[in-house]
Amino acid sequence: MTPSTSHKIIGLLFGAGFGFVLAAANLHEYKTIHDMLSLKEFDVFLLMGGAIGVSLPLLALLERNGAKTVLGGTLSLSRSPVKRQNVVGGALFGIGWALSGTCPAPALVMLASGAGLAIITIIGLFIGLGLRDAQTSRATGTAVTGDGEHRETVAAR
Amino acid sequence: MISAVLPDRLPWYLAGPALGLLVVGFFMFTNQPLGATGAYVETAKTVRRVPGAVSWRAFYFVGIALGGLAAVLLKEDGFVARKGYDVLLDANDMNLSLPVASAVIFVGAIVMGYGARMAGGCTSGHGICGTAQRSPASWAATISFMSAAVVTTFFVNQF
Repeated sequence: MTPSTSHKIIGLLFGAGFGFVLAAANLHEYKTIHDMLSLKEFDVFLLMGGAIGVSLPLLALLERNGAKTVLGGTLSLSRSPVKRQNVVGGALFGIGWALSGTCPAPALVMLASGAGLAIITIIGLFIGLGLRDAQTSRATGTAVTGDGEHRETVAAR
Repeated sequence: MISAVLPDRLPWYLAGPALGLLVVGFFMFTNQPLGATGAYVETAKTVRRVPGAVSWRAFYFVGIALGGLAAVLLKEDGFVARKGYDVLLDANDMNLSLPVASAVIFVGAIVMGYGARMAGGCTSGHGICGTAQRSPASWAATISFMSAAVVTTFFVNQF
């Protein structure tokens, strides 16, 4: 199997696992996110805390032991200093998140669950991402990625 | 509905650690964070056949929807074709008309996409994967979007 095919299968499976958990926890429902952000209910904060609480120490341990990943070589985590764009972009993201009541991955699950208006959210997301990419590529000739996005690796293409 | 195998809502103390394990598992296969913003970007490039598009992320994008559908089908209510966004549309709640609600959602999504790309990630990328990598940039972005979202929701709730 070529690395590219392996990546596609891994991507599909982990995407499915991710989408499954999001839907199981009702994160695709506008009400769940709205109640969280209205500080009426803290389950989603606890959920995120639980996810970080499990993955942070495990990744730290694996990194310290120089763990080898299956397709990407030695495990390497990203730790970037804070830039203005992280904070400003984050604030814009938060405003949009509150208005549209869903974030990028749950929006896909929302549509898959039958909620038709989610198509508006998904199209809007593509437009917003594209606007920013158009702006950065005009300014620098390349798009940027941060620690929250997939890093570019030649083998992964 | 296939059958009600899943509860109406999986509690956070199961869903949270499950997401955490998926993040670690994805790192151990691909040495990459499991963020959704990058998946959108590369899916758009793959569909438009832009040279250098990372096509496996389009599989990840599709996987999210398929996995979500599978979970929904295992719940009692199952797949229900509907508008969604009940809080915005319900007469007892915000009672927005469909065009107004659609405009709010659309503008919100554009701002969200622009902001996610500027920040270098979203709730999954920065909020879970970046924080789990102990990246200062991700912690800053996460604190920023959480605060902005709570403040925005406070204002939305005044209507």
